[in-house]
Amino acid sequence: MDDLFVKPGNQERGWNDPPQFSYGLQVAGSTRSPLTKRGPPPPAAGLQAPPPCGDPSPDQQATSPHLHGITPPPHKMTTPTHRITPPPSGVTPPLSQATSSPCGSRLPPPPKGGPCPMSRPPSGPDSKAPCGPRAEPDPQPEPDLQAVSSVLAEALEACRQNVSRQVCEDIAKRLRLLEDSWTSGRLSSTVKRRMNALTLEMKSSHWSAADDIHRSLMVDHVTEVSQWMVGIKRLIAETRNLSPELLAFSPADPVQPEPVGN
Amino acid sequence: MTTYQEFIQQNEDRDGVRFSWNLWPSSRLEATRLVVPVSCLFTPLKERPDLPPVQYEPVMCGRANCKAVLNPLCQVDFRAKIWACNFCFQRNPFPPSYAGISDVNQPAELMPQFSTIEYVVQRGPVAPLIFLYVVDTCLEEEDLQALRESLQMSLSLLPPNALVGLITFGRMVQVHELSCEGIAKSYVFRGTKELSSKQIQEMLGLMKPAVSGQQGRPAAPQDPSATCRFLQPVHRVDMNLTDLLGELQRDPWPVPQGKRPLRSTGVALSVAVGLLEGAFPNTGARVMLFTGGPPTQGPGMVVGDELKTPIRSWHDIQKDNARHLKKSSKYYDTLANRTAVNGHSIDIYACALDQTGLLEMKCLSNLTGGHIVMGDSFNTSLFKQTFQRVFSKDYSGEFRMAFGGTMEVKEMGVGGTSQWKVCSLNPSTTLAMFFEVVSQHNAPVPQGGRGAIQFVTQYQHSSTQRRIRVTTVARNWADAQSQIQHIESSFDQEASAVIMARLGVFRAESEEGPDVLRWLDRQLIRLCQKFGQFNKDDPTSFKLSESLSLYPQFMFHLRRSPFLQVFNNSPDESSYYRHHFVRQDLTQSLIMVQPMLYSYSFHGPPEPVLLDSSSILPDRILLMDTFFQLVIYHGETIAQWRKAGYQEMAEYENFKQLLQAPLDDAQEILQTRFPMPRYVDTEHGGSQARFLLSKVNPSQTHNNSNGWTQEPGAPILTDDVSLQVFMDHLKKLAVSSST
Repeated sequence: MDDLFVKPGNQERGWNDPPQFSYGLQVAGSTRSPLTKRGPPPPAAGLQAPPPCGDPSPDQQATSPHLHGITPPPHKMTTPTHRITPPPSGVTPPLSQATSSPCGSRLPPPPKGGPCPMSRPPSGPDSKAPCGPRAEPDPQPEPDLQAVSSVLAEALEACRQNVSRQVCEDIAKRLRLLEDSWTSGRLSSTVKRRMNALTLEMKSSHWSAADDIHRSLMVDHVTEVSQWMVGIKRLIAETRNLSPELLAFSPADPVQPEPVGN
Repeated sequence: MTTYQEFIQQNEDRDGVRFSWNLWPSSRLEATRLVVPVSCLFTPLKERPDLPPVQYEPVMCGRANCKAVLNPLCQVDFRAKIWACNFCFQRNPFPPSYAGISDVNQPAELMPQFSTIEYVVQRGPVAPLIFLYVVDTCLEEEDLQALRESLQMSLSLLPPNALVGLITFGRMVQVHELSCEGIAKSYVFRGTKELSSKQIQEMLGLMKPAVSGQQGRPAAPQDPSATCRFLQPVHRVDMNLTDLLGELQRDPWPVPQGKRPLRSTGVALSVAVGLLEGAFPNTGARVMLFTGGPPTQGPGMVVGDELKTPIRSWHDIQKDNARHLKKSSKYYDTLANRTAVNGHSIDIYACALDQTGLLEMKCLSNLTGGHIVMGDSFNTSLFKQTFQRVFSKDYSGEFRMAFGGTMEVKEMGVGGTSQWKVCSLNPSTTLAMFFEVVSQHNAPVPQGGRGAIQFVTQYQHSSTQRRIRVTTVARNWADAQSQIQHIESSFDQEASAVIMARLGVFRAESEEGPDVLRWLDRQLIRLCQKFGQFNKDDPTSFKLSESLSLYPQFMFHLRRSPFLQVFNNSPDESSYYRHHFVRQDLTQSLIMVQPMLYSYSFHGPPEPVLLDSSSILPDRILLMDTFFQLVIYHGETIAQWRKAGYQEMAEYENFKQLLQAPLDDAQEILQTRFPMPRYVDTEHGGSQARFLLSKVNPSQTHNNSNGWTQEPGAPILTDDVSLQVFMDHLKKLAVSSST
């Protein structure tokens, strides 16, 4: 899943710059309940009085009877079901297995323990910590430029009937730029893989999916792709308007990496 | 039987409304005695995944000066097919399409759960949305490159049929033609000369020459083939515009040593507004200004080009030493008003290490509903991601941004309506409305015992559809003499705190600083005198009921907040914080006033803790959310363990998880918040720990911490009063017979 990653911010240019999330992560959004609970009110303030006698006005349902199936957003933080084992009561022995830690002999180590759920139950895509390492490279074979450019070339050919010459030339120019960048090694493997996925979606006429991949590439890898990606964008837009018989891709190659889901 | 808390929450979830008082005093005199005005926070476009819009137009009252929309509070005669307007009591027939309605077959808008409902308006031409980029070219190369890329990227994020335009500026202002032919053309304006709207339109060739026989008519402002040149559909010009952006150069005029670049922001904006005014009045449009420094030339200049003259600080302003402030503020104010009248909005994306003139320019966004984003450089994640989120989409894949809004408020019995323009809105935009009770003292409670208010928001959806959102709410009247306790228990302290804070910010922007704090304190004391339970002159007897108990604490933190305290912030920073404060919804606003603090430790699951110095402990990690910053603070012991590398060892896996937990929670917030907050990872003794230390209540300071009795928590080096001292003073003043 190399479209879901987090990179550190640019600390050289921006004071406390936050980490950068990939397009895929931002679109997925937040799946856990928000942190909106406050701590208990200060005891020193000593303001609590018993509630006034008399119930709240009986006419308060003036506005409406209770909602049908509309639940308020969660107020409380969901607490995990397990509690972790409390730290051992005795003083833990000084480090014996520690690596070269200068203060090792005087600093008692943290309580030992195997993996225990510490935070709220996670849900959603498996995402790494901010400022954590990048996603490890996928050990898949690199896609073939020929496979990618043949699909794009066929799409362009199909467009030539309905689309102005100027625009087709412009797209062709950018496809050449793409090929140049690819062959001269200026493109990262992630971009190559996703371009491959994009063309596979185009072949299956999944235009929205292809469009989405183009968008995620523009957001996540703008430096690498900005020169030519707009041509791909235009190509997708023009091809999707064509009638199906004008567009006939050659049969699929026998060897392909796994396509990204729609 | 629901409690008031639940009632308040249910109403907010359904209608996006939070009232300061949920029972209304029935006379004006009593309303003023309540101290906190009868008012509400209203989120017109609150996200409602469960509320699909209805595909028909609203039914409205026939009376010319009423026109209220049919709602669940109306009396209906299903047999005669007549409804009675609950605002003016006019009886109206249902339109023919409603012939089939009955008691068991009611239209949605009559049902109580649809007190908020959205209509899609089918008639009228479809008007495209417009995005006009106004780009400063007096940037360092690294910043310009990053900005070029962000703008190119944004072309892929725009709504598909949007129109797009480009104006660049430095010493001169260039309006670029986006024709599809090979040659790039642009129209150049001098950056020093103020031009009228008419002059701009003439010079850009947007005016048709007057035709004889049409004396007295103004020249037709629209020449569609001409306006096409500057504002073109993005799907047609994306390739050309990508190239144009890629070839943008830094402003060619050399900047001598000791000088600032000459930046003609004022004229650039004036040209942008004039272009839109002439070509597309009353369509949804955003002017997006990207600037890397202050305006230094022409109308609206904020500072001269001599570097040795620094840009105005609060000190300068207080000493009346800010030469350009009045004139440029007025200039931008006029421009902002014109823009709002046209139904357009202006965003400001200001990225620079020094100030850029947000104090003078803020009205451009504040009056039109546009965004202000403040960063250090365009080559930062903060700018790039915040900018991406302008184009974010909601749960159904539609853009969150909305345009050209007008909001109307109708109240029963007053017979009038009030209207506001909100040219740009999103699902979190929240307005504060203040109501005046007009009944005379001792007049009987109005017929029906309930007051009703209807909010009608018309706007252009990002799909270019026109929509109307109608929210109708009601609350009971109560006689303050006999029912003061009921009124008291209907108090919403969170909403009231935010509303009073907004009032405070409004005053702060027009008055001197210390006066606002005095005003705020006076209101707090009056409220405590009115509703506190105490014996005269006996502070220890003072108590507040549950519905008010947190209010003084909110006021304490508000007094220390950057919204009312300008110390330690530049005028631009204060403007930026205030801009966001007065438009966010209640939950986010409250976070800004009193930040959230969460604690992570081995002693149990993560929990919210008091925003107090006693929460800072050596074996805890704290996550503080102030809305503008996310601070992760590692206590002393945790920091030492981290430094020693325990998290790398297999048998201390739980420590690794402890370190990870606040990062995961922070990530949740970072992924969705607009604008993106700063992210501070710090520890005990770290210089960045000051962000946490300056926010927590300093219940322990170097003045009062005692070496012998080791109370938990770290003492803060400050002379600020603590909440405890504040409360003591408050109680003394509230109970005193002489206050």
